[in-house]
Amino acid sequence: MSSEPLLRVENLKTQFFTDAGTVRAVDGISFEVYEGEIVGLVGESGAGKSVASMSLLRLVERPGEIVGGEVTYKGETVFGLEEGPDGELREREEMLSNEAVRERIRGNEIAVIFQDPMESLNPVFTVGGQLREVIELNRGLSKEAARAEAIEMLREVGIPDPEERYEEYPHQFSGGMRQRVLIAMALACEPSLIVADEPTTALDVTVEGQIIDLVDELQAKYDTSFIWVTHDMGVVAEICDRVNVMYLGEIVEQAPVDELFHDTKHPYTRALLNSMPRPDRTVAELEPIEGVMPEAISPPSGCRFHPRCPDAREVCRRVHPEPEEVARADSHPHNAACLKHDAFDVGYDGSAPLEGDPRTTAGGSGGEGGE
Amino acid sequence: MAGEDVAHGEPLLEVEGLKKYFGQDSGLLGGISFEPGRFPPISLDEQQVKAVDDVSFEIRRGETLGLVGESGCGKSTLGRTLLRLLEPTAGTISFKGDDLAALSGEELRRKRAEIQMIFQDPQSSLDPRMKVGRIIEEPMRAHGMLDDEGREARAKDLLEKVGLDPHHYNRHPHAFSGGQRQRVNLARALSVNPDFIVCDEPVSALDVSIQAQVLNTMERLQEEFGLTYLFIAHDLSVIRHISDRVAVMYLGNVVELADKEELFENPQHPYTRALLDSIPVPDPRRRGARGALEGEVPSPVDPPSGCRFRTRCPRLIAPEGYDWTDEEWAHTRSFLRAVKRRTFESASAAELRREFFGGDLPDGEAGEIVAEAIALVATDADAGTEGRGDWTDARELLLEKFARESVCATERPAYDVETEHGTDSHFAACHLHR
Ligand SMILES: Nc1ncnc2c1ncn2[C@@H]1O[C@H](COP(=O)(O)OP(=O)(O)OP(=O)(O)O)[C@@H](O)[C@H]1O
Ligand code: SF4
Ligand code: SF4
Ligand SMILES: [Mg+2]
Repeated sequence: MSSEPLLRVENLKTQFFTDAGTVRAVDGISFEVYEGEIVGLVGESGAGKSVASMSLLRLVERPGEIVGGEVTYKGETVFGLEEGPDGELREREEMLSNEAVRERIRGNEIAVIFQDPMESLNPVFTVGGQLREVIELNRGLSKEAARAEAIEMLREVGIPDPEERYEEYPHQFSGGMRQRVLIAMALACEPSLIVADEPTTALDVTVEGQIIDLVDELQAKYDTSFIWVTHDMGVVAEICDRVNVMYLGEIVEQAPVDELFHDTKHPYTRALLNSMPRPDRTVAELEPIEGVMPEAISPPSGCRFHPRCPDAREVCRRVHPEPEEVARADSHPHNAACLKHDAFDVGYDGSAPLEGDPRTTAGGSGGEGGE
Repeated sequence: MAGEDVAHGEPLLEVEGLKKYFGQDSGLLGGISFEPGRFPPISLDEQQVKAVDDVSFEIRRGETLGLVGESGCGKSTLGRTLLRLLEPTAGTISFKGDDLAALSGEELRRKRAEIQMIFQDPQSSLDPRMKVGRIIEEPMRAHGMLDDEGREARAKDLLEKVGLDPHHYNRHPHAFSGGQRQRVNLARALSVNPDFIVCDEPVSALDVSIQAQVLNTMERLQEEFGLTYLFIAHDLSVIRHISDRVAVMYLGNVVELADKEELFENPQHPYTRALLDSIPVPDPRRRGARGALEGEVPSPVDPPSGCRFRTRCPRLIAPEGYDWTDEEWAHTRSFLRAVKRRTFESASAAELRREFFGGDLPDGEAGEIVAEAIALVATDADAGTEGRGDWTDARELLLEKFARESVCATERPAYDVETEHGTDSHFAACHLHR
């Protein structure tokens, strides 16, 4: 890709300072989003997907804090640190102020859709009223025009009988309908980027299907970019253009969607795909990933996946791999953070395989029993 | 132990006409109304949630019957009613020949040892104050099984069997991960040596990698102890992996039941097809193969007559008495749905005719009715009748003349269809198999 990305995230680090210690929830991730793309952020529970997406909009709250890295949106610094004269890290001068992020970026430029629509809708106001207000504020329309536009948006996202439903309250809507309303709200300000955190996870599969189709349609029409956060590889395959796989606060593989599934370069991604039952064929034997994901408070040394990795060697315990380009596809890099690739050249081939007791030390409670 | 009397593959549990209705109010008298003018003066309120409505099937010894459906379709209620955790409204539940629905007191208590249940949320189903050992021993204690020492030995043995360390006997549940807690649940269910376990979404709360571990353990235990499972889940991939046979539920009814391979490879009910079509397949090369189902599930308080899926069914059968071509009916059906859901903005009659019927209305009486409905919602409708009333009238007209006249609305479907994969019977509740 020659053009500048819409969003560039570099070495982003977000930590939570808790009594039990420092949780390295997001630990140095980098990725880009180009115009018109749907970029996936995928991983298991606790991998850091939500914290990462909150960090993009500086929505992380205490005891959490973004402690490093840069977020650049359309050339503007949403977040950025530099070393001051005393060696301390300080916010860069060109970094946008809180007001600027709140007023210019959030909603207008980058909208967010959360998993639980109930939390994002106010139960005491009508659905239509809330949508109208967003449109009025952000698009400078009159009340009447905003109302008409709101009804049009409701119809566009597939709310039946929108004139009537406009007057109803959020609790009168089903989960799928509420999610449609949130999509309408996100779109109402015509943002360039929508960050959607597990927007369909709580929904039934037929409703999820409806929402995915809707997003596809709207995306084609408005050319909005998306960051789509999910743990569901089926959804990733269905809608993402490029994918970032997260494990324990890090991105371990980064590839266009076809390469991720058909030319998988990281053992974790591979293991994730092998452990899934499939809807389209009967899998006789599932291959679970041994052990559990350790706590982000005390990640394993070297490669963080090594206690569970079937390909782990002695070197994996010592050397920490950062994502490296191991192939190219569609003029995009295919990056993997795995020492077995030649790009690393740290003696993986000569290193002794790790005889695994697959039980990890997670939380001191032993691992999941291996079968 | 008990159960030896039913051979592997023979029906262990037979459910016949099972119903579970809930009163709308959860209060003491919810669902019951007092009508002094009638005899008897107390009647069951019309406003009942028909969560499970006339369901019949069997579960065979040693098999896993998968029960799949979307939220609110009645899966969990069915599972709980089988165990008599909920009182059935009607029907029989025959377990090894005894009708559980009719048992009470000591007899029911004794039967309960043979049937166990595990739930979705391993967090909340384990008492946080109790140690794991004690949790596992609890059902044994309740059924007077073994002495203290025997129970402890058995609990430790079971910990090992479900893939945990016997040394975890003295730990509290909070020290365990989700997958491990679900294993503790399994050990507890197994402690009283049951024949049959109802598993309600046992892996839904777990990450995929952990899900696979627990599913493998459940399969191993089934083999080792000769267990029979009713496996309730909304995830079709999990159901496809674990089940021998699969029942699909929609709005309180079982709409299809067949051998797993048959159901997934040769689905015969339009709802099953829609369900299968809507799952995103984890392969980007098979993208866009999905079909979407329109509309929402109607309320179980007042479910549609006949086939409950008819309000959304893409194949709703044309009503008798009109002379339709397939295409004319297909156009009319989508126009009917669009009016009902009011998914389009009004336009002139000519424009609506073009948009929904490609310009040509059906012939004969059907065409006249359609024309009347179009006139009601069109912008160039007769002067003075603008506004919502017209939509409602159009909707009523179309529903009354067409939708409610379909055999799908007038008769409840139940058919045995031909099996393509395997030899087992294949049930499909759809009039397309008339
Ligand atoms: N408020 C908080 N205080 C302390 N730790 C936190 C807080 N929020 C998140 N974390 C930790 O940060 C890490 C990443 O969490 P995050 O919610 O981003 O994961 P996720 O990938 O979104 O998981 P899920 O799939 O469950 O939504 C976890 O270890 C989590 O426990
Ligand atoms: S670096 Fe080693 S442990 Fe990590 S994924 Fe690669 S092979 Fe496995
Ligand atoms: S009976 Fe009619 S409405 Fe029901 S599934 Fe079959 S065709 Fe569709
Ligand atoms: Mg999350």
